[in-house]
Amino acid sequence: MADFSISKHGAMGAHLVRRYITERDTEPDPAKKYEFDPNFGFGERKEREMIATQEQMNLAQLPLEQRDYCAHYLLKLMKCKRDYWPNFLACKHERHDWDYCEHQDYVMRMKEYERERRLQLRKKRIEEKAEAA
Amino acid sequence: MLNMAGVGFRMWAKALAKGRSSGLSALLSGCRAASGVSKGSLPGPYPKTPEERAAAAKKYNLTVQDYEPYPDNGEGFGDYPKLPDRSQQERDPWYQWDHPDLRRNWAEPMHWDFDMFIRNRVDTSPSPVPWSTMCKHLFGFIGFMLFMFYVGAKFPCYQPVAPKQYPYNDLYLERGGDPEKQPEEIKHYEI
Repeated sequence: MADFSISKHGAMGAHLVRRYITERDTEPDPAKKYEFDPNFGFGERKEREMIATQEQMNLAQLPLEQRDYCAHYLLKLMKCKRDYWPNFLACKHERHDWDYCEHQDYVMRMKEYERERRLQLRKKRIEEKAEAA
Repeated sequence: MLNMAGVGFRMWAKALAKGRSSGLSALLSGCRAASGVSKGSLPGPYPKTPEERAAAAKKYNLTVQDYEPYPDNGEGFGDYPKLPDRSQQERDPWYQWDHPDLRRNWAEPMHWDFDMFIRNRVDTSPSPVPWSTMCKHLFGFIGFMLFMFYVGAKFPCYQPVAPKQYPYNDLYLERGGDPEKQPEEIKHYEI
């Protein structure tokens, strides 16, 4: 049972302490697939929209890691750099747009992790309650 | 035994002196350079009698007490002296040796493996710290690092984030999926 005391102050790496020492059964394992239905707990969930097409990404020869949901900003940035070369300081706005999109993507990943963790804790609470009853 | 430098000089000197061509006799007699081996200074067979031992010791510039030949067991050392296996690095660096780089004096008896014991090569000087201590430190450190790598592989560090989401069914076609087959639908949502 998670104890809400002062001793629970976590810094960077608190998830590792939870995973390997304190809450070994509920902390999400990065190697395992997340087991809860994506729509569980949500009323209406909006799907992520992919703007760049596969053909566009193929023509730009993007590496696989960069073919994510921010690829359209990256394509805009690449076009800007191509057009304004050799002025390497010219595409700050486009670069910022791409960076912000990637940042939002990372924050979404953090939220997904946290959602999985809380659902696991909730599952454990329910099981313990059922056992105690 | 022909010494070409001596022969050349002698022929020139003779030609100058006599003014007629030198013959075969001049070529064959030749003069001898001091770098050649002198008579009776080459190693010989294993010394069996005390007189032979004394002669061998004198030949190698050693006292009779110090002279110790290699054991006569067919290895072919003959009467060459068995000197202690100490490298030249162990010798006094401040003494004025005849050959400072080799740390050796002229006519000193040479070790059988002298070319191995020069300062650029094998060194028998004592280590500053006992050998056992050095071994413990080295293998202790290596063992500790291997143990830590093992622990790090068993309990890896990672960021508390979900895996990255990719479009088009996790890039099914881009990762080489079969275009004829229908891949399983993978949906991603905003959060």
